[in-house]
Amino acid sequence: MVAQTETESAKHYAPVRARRPTDFDLTLPALGLLALFFVLPVAMLLTRSVTEPVPGLGNYAELMGSSTYLRVFANTFMVSGLVTFVSLLIGFPVAWALAIMPSRLASVVFAILLLSMWTNLLARTYAWMVLLQRTGVINKMLIGVGLVDKPLPLVNNLTGVTIGMTYIMLPFIILPLYGVIRKIDPAILQAAALCGANRWQSLVLVLLPLAMPGMAAGALMVFVMSLGYFVTPALLGGTANMMLAELIAQFVQSLVNWGMGGAAALVLLVVTLALYAVQLRFFGTDRLGGS
Amino acid sequence: MSKPFLQIRGIRKEYGPVTAVHDVNLDVAQGEFLTFLGPSGSGKSTTLYILAGFENPTRGEILLNGETLLATPSHKRNIGMVFQRYTLFPHLSVGENIAFPLKVRRRPKAEIDARVRAMLKLVRLEGFEDRKPAQMSGGQQQRVALARALAYDPPVLLMDEPLSALDKKLREEIQHEIRRIHQQTEVTILYVTHDQEEALRLSDRIAVFSKGAIDQIGTGPELYANPATRFVAEFIGDSDFLPCNVVSAANGRAEIAICDSMTVSHVPLHGAASSGAKAALMLRPERLLLSRTQSEAGLPVTVSDITFLGNNVHVTTKTSKGNDLSVRLPFGHEAISGLNRGDAVWLRFDAAAAHVFGQ
Ligand SMILES: Nc1ncnc2c1ncn2[C@@H]1O[C@H](COP(=O)(O)OP(=O)(O)O)[C@@H](O)[C@H]1O
Ligand SMILES: [Mg+2]
Repeated sequence: MVAQTETESAKHYAPVRARRPTDFDLTLPALGLLALFFVLPVAMLLTRSVTEPVPGLGNYAELMGSSTYLRVFANTFMVSGLVTFVSLLIGFPVAWALAIMPSRLASVVFAILLLSMWTNLLARTYAWMVLLQRTGVINKMLIGVGLVDKPLPLVNNLTGVTIGMTYIMLPFIILPLYGVIRKIDPAILQAAALCGANRWQSLVLVLLPLAMPGMAAGALMVFVMSLGYFVTPALLGGTANMMLAELIAQFVQSLVNWGMGGAAALVLLVVTLALYAVQLRFFGTDRLGGS
Repeated sequence: MSKPFLQIRGIRKEYGPVTAVHDVNLDVAQGEFLTFLGPSGSGKSTTLYILAGFENPTRGEILLNGETLLATPSHKRNIGMVFQRYTLFPHLSVGENIAFPLKVRRRPKAEIDARVRAMLKLVRLEGFEDRKPAQMSGGQQQRVALARALAYDPPVLLMDEPLSALDKKLREEIQHEIRRIHQQTEVTILYVTHDQEEALRLSDRIAVFSKGAIDQIGTGPELYANPATRFVAEFIGDSDFLPCNVVSAANGRAEIAICDSMTVSHVPLHGAASSGAKAALMLRPERLLLSRTQSEAGLPVTVSDITFLGNNVHVTTKTSKGNDLSVRLPFGHEAISGLNRGDAVWLRFDAAAAHVFGQ
């Protein structure tokens, strides 16, 4: 909209005024920075993936041909999917509660959410390690109330990764969902009730479909972010369920195999971009608002 | 009126210190079209929301066919409602919207399809079932909302200012439709509006709301001819009020003195007024007779403005005490040919068509 009026007025004034910078001109410095610090290093890494140790697609063949590596891919998708699912399950009721609670209370909850987002990722992950370990608070409480008799294994496995990552991803689900739910007119739900829909039917037939754009946007964001996550899986996960980012780190740091590292990174990049394309295709930025 | 179908008994609603509805009592007959008319904030919507089950009354009772409605949650009340805002489900097509109440009632598909077609026919939107609400005009959306609310044959249909977002011409068109649909379906309708013309055009009876209470209930002509309170007199039809002194009052009639120059007897009196008290005399512009020649029975006034309004001419006059009084006459009436501002004229009225309201 703004861009259109800009260029239109620029055209209109063309004879009297010098050419005004277009929107594209204004993004050039940013694009330059992006090229220098992002595109260039990635391109160099990717180049090494097809040149080291010998030119060709050998690294990719090895990556795709080995069941060990494929298991890492599968695990990465599984963990990301699980984290996304649990985040949605928890995020939806939270976003709904935020949307209907008195605005003063809601701003307190938002402050807590944002505070947790601004806290250092490592600090938050270590905090979960402390809480979840065998002698941690959670196990002590569970034993204390007699729910279990010996500590549950909550870290260095899938449970630990899921808890830690879900906690970190929750705000990314809650915020877009909250935006969409807030825009739903309460009168629409009143109409559904008078039409005879009970709470469950209103939720499934009206609220969820109307919140779908927010859920999809949040879920895709969480899924994509989870795919490349390193710190939390490395600290809270076990060796049995390694994720792709951990594998890349291992290639580069332990094995000093830049070729394989670059190949794995490219696969991750391609998958991420493909998912991003899906998001743009179905929920283009202007459709995120729903209604 | 047949036996009370819907009974509203002493309904009161308090929001903290605010009393939104004051002890409303109302009997509605089956098939009746009853309108809540009143200014914004007078408690009309709150009363309707209590009927719908969105709000619980602080006290009072609502009976439908003699049985309490208050114990039933909204989704089991089987009541239809059309809202002020557009409330079609935006993700469903027109047909799916109308089918929604039948789907949640788990009716067979063939019955739902037939019902959707019948409803679309009723609101004259055949062929629109695959459109999305966003592709329809405001008036069409409200007609679909009406079809959706009627699809499950509710005993009572609530309408909360359903046309207030539409422009005047469209509003009149849909008022016409609503009247036809009411006659066709014989559903009992409780309608809310702040527009007196809409209320008069649609309703069998009108309940005039003021400050959370019903001032008067009656047919349009009853309210117009016999307003119980000054508020009703002001709200229904045009009226002017002159300060007057009560000379004597008995049996609902009063003898009054206006402008120190004239006394009128047998004027219908509303509210308490003892002799010597100050009161307000209500006069309707179309019930005043204007005469160019002095007469004993006429109130002397001066013409302050003349407005041509198509088939009517509106003459504004000032009494000797400086109060405005309007007279409405048909265009071309002999009494106003050649009339000018500043002219002295005399106004007469039938005592029975005037009203005195005690202070
Ligand atoms: N949820 C509420 N909380 C507090 N006051 C309310 C609430 N709903 C309505 N009111 C008050 O009750 C009064 C009547 O409102 P309402 O029934 O909406 O009037 P109307 O529909 O006639 O315009 C108003 O003064 C309004 O401010
Ligand atoms: Mg209202």
